Amino acid sequence: MRAGLALQVFSVEARKLMSYRTDFWINTVAVFAAKMVVAYYLWTAVFAESGRTTIGGFTQDGMILYYLLAILIGRVVSGGERQMSISQDIYQGSLTRYLIYPTGYGAIKYVEHLGTLVPSLLQLVLFSGVASLLFDFSQLGAVTFASLLRTAVAVAVGNVLLFLMLYVIQGVAFWADNVWSLQVMLRFITSMLGGLMLPLDLFPAWARQILEILPFQTLYYFPVMTLLGRIDTGEWLRTLAVALVWCAMIGGVAHIVWRRGYREYTGVGI
Amino acid sequence: MIQAEGLSKTFFVHRKEPGLWGSVKSLVKRTKEPRHAVRGVSFHVGPGEIVGLVGANGAGKTTVVKMLAGIIVPTAGRARVLGYDPWLRDNRMRAQIALIMGQKAQLWWDLPAADCFLLLREIYQIPRQRFDEGLAYLAETLDVDQQLNVQIRRLSLGERMKMELIAALLHSPRVCFLDEPTIGLDLTAQRAIREFLLRYRQDHQPAMLLTSHYMEDIERLCKRILIIRRGELVFDGPLAEVAERYAQHKMVAVELSHEVDRQQLARELEGLGEILPPEEGHEADLGLRLRTPRAQVAALAGRLLQLLPVTDLSIEEEEIGNIIARIMQEREDENENEEGDEE
Ligand SMILES: Nc1ncnc2c1ncn2[C@@H]1O[C@H](COP(=O)(O)OP(=O)(O)OP(=O)(O)O)[C@@H](O)[C@H]1O
Ligand SMILES: [Mg+2]
Repeated sequence: MRAGLALQVFSVEARKLMSYRTDFWINTVAVFAAKMVVAYYLWTAVFAESGRTTIGGFTQDGMILYYLLAILIGRVVSGGERQMSISQDIYQGSLTRYLIYPTGYGAIKYVEHLGTLVPSLLQLVLFSGVASLLFDFSQLGAVTFASLLRTAVAVAVGNVLLFLMLYVIQGVAFWADNVWSLQVMLRFITSMLGGLMLPLDLFPAWARQILEILPFQTLYYFPVMTLLGRIDTGEWLRTLAVALVWCAMIGGVAHIVWRRGYREYTGVGI
Repeated sequence: MIQAEGLSKTFFVHRKEPGLWGSVKSLVKRTKEPRHAVRGVSFHVGPGEIVGLVGANGAGKTTVVKMLAGIIVPTAGRARVLGYDPWLRDNRMRAQIALIMGQKAQLWWDLPAADCFLLLREIYQIPRQRFDEGLAYLAETLDVDQQLNVQIRRLSLGERMKMELIAALLHSPRVCFLDEPTIGLDLTAQRAIREFLLRYRQDHQPAMLLTSHYMEDIERLCKRILIIRRGELVFDGPLAEVAERYAQHKMVAVELSHEVDRQQLARELEGLGEILPPEEGHEADLGLRLRTPRAQVAALAGRLLQLLPVTDLSIEEEEIGNIIARIMQEREDENENEEGDEE
């Protein structure tokens, strides 16, 4: 897709989201606060009960920090949860216009998806600022330009990967009446196995080995651990390579699903 | 520029029995039923031509348009638009076509029209100057320049349709598919859109395929029409020929000074003409309308003057809309039996 078009789609989407001001302030702040409060009290209690100083290699503060970053970075990886609009386009026939325009649907949707990240990025900066007043961030250690860059790469790859997974799942709308349940399932699996619900270090060793070849850890665990400086260069490169292979594979599946799907499309509504 | 050869489309619809039990059953076993929406339709549309595609509800007009615009894949047959197979959706073809659907908003619902147009400028890579001039011209002619910054969803139906029209024509398409572009519009707006389309044709010589249920649209815009009935093309020719070929009748209308017994009159006019049922709302009227074979007009008029207390008498061509409606109807009667097993 050309840059001019991408920019236009991007800006439209970002502006649209920013115009939902109530959602931006009330909903996201509330959700963020709720998740943080739960994580905070849960882990404080766990540490107190067990009497241990580290769990899975995390100290209590380290654990809280992990959650903080996972939630904030997670929003940048998963975007504004607006991917449902793809299946709606199929059900309601709005896909039709993109079939008429000389441009690819997937590309437009991905740029739109990027547009939804603008508020998430804003929140990332804002909330981590607020949180730095409440928590002790000294353990973050040396955040260098290089580590930030690596984190950015990890986030970008995670973002593409998750979009591709959603693009496949949403494409099921060509055949099935309701992809909602599939989407919920995917969200559960990705949060569970991707490190959003808990750091993957807490899984037993055999499970970790499997998780390392699955695509999910790239989504949340990988960028957060990169930022925390807990992944060495060799491992980072290896994880990135696995993620890229998955991107290619899921991208291929998406291509096939959509090419078949278009044959099923009947452009309802007219 | 538009070619269809033997185009057919069969949809498969899942039959679901109504009610809860039906839903449960459909979980286990779903029956697919074929619905032949379009059957072997062939026609051509050349540059500068506006061809009307008419037919009853569900006749298959929209399905034909969808196949030609590359939205759905034909079950059989061949389509070519500007030399391309529409289903392959080549960008070079898509940059030169437009689809306007009166029943479905294409523009982005929560953006102002101006933003939609900017997106389209990028999508079609319209040079800035040409875009600005084109937009100014279109918005002014359609009288919507005041509404450009209003969200699409807040526009009235007519205003929205005009925006859709602008959006579809900004890139000066050479092939336009117009599916009921005037549906739901008031008479002024309908006229504005018609005039606008005529002017667009004059300036750009596009090939246009137009569907509409308003005869006025067809009569004003189309020199040639296609009549489609239950997915089959039953007429393809000049609009003028429809009247010549199918209007073997004329309409005779008389005004009477007092009422007469219609049944008795019908017997007396046996073979001369047929009394049409009174128009709605004119039940106990003193007016009488008859349809008569062209050759019998004089005889019928004479007989009427002789038999009835006539105060006024007029002879007219049958309305083109009625003729078309009848063509659709007649064919339906003809084919009723042979297709009985299918429905
Ligand atoms: N997506 C679909 N799935 C199943 N059947 C369909 C679908 N779309 C259309 N049909 C059927 O195909 C036939 C033709 O529909 P189509 O929309 O082409 O009619 P139309 O001539 O445009 O009618 P109208 O004047 O009401 O717009 C109808 O019987 C309709 O029920
Ligand atoms: Mg239709």
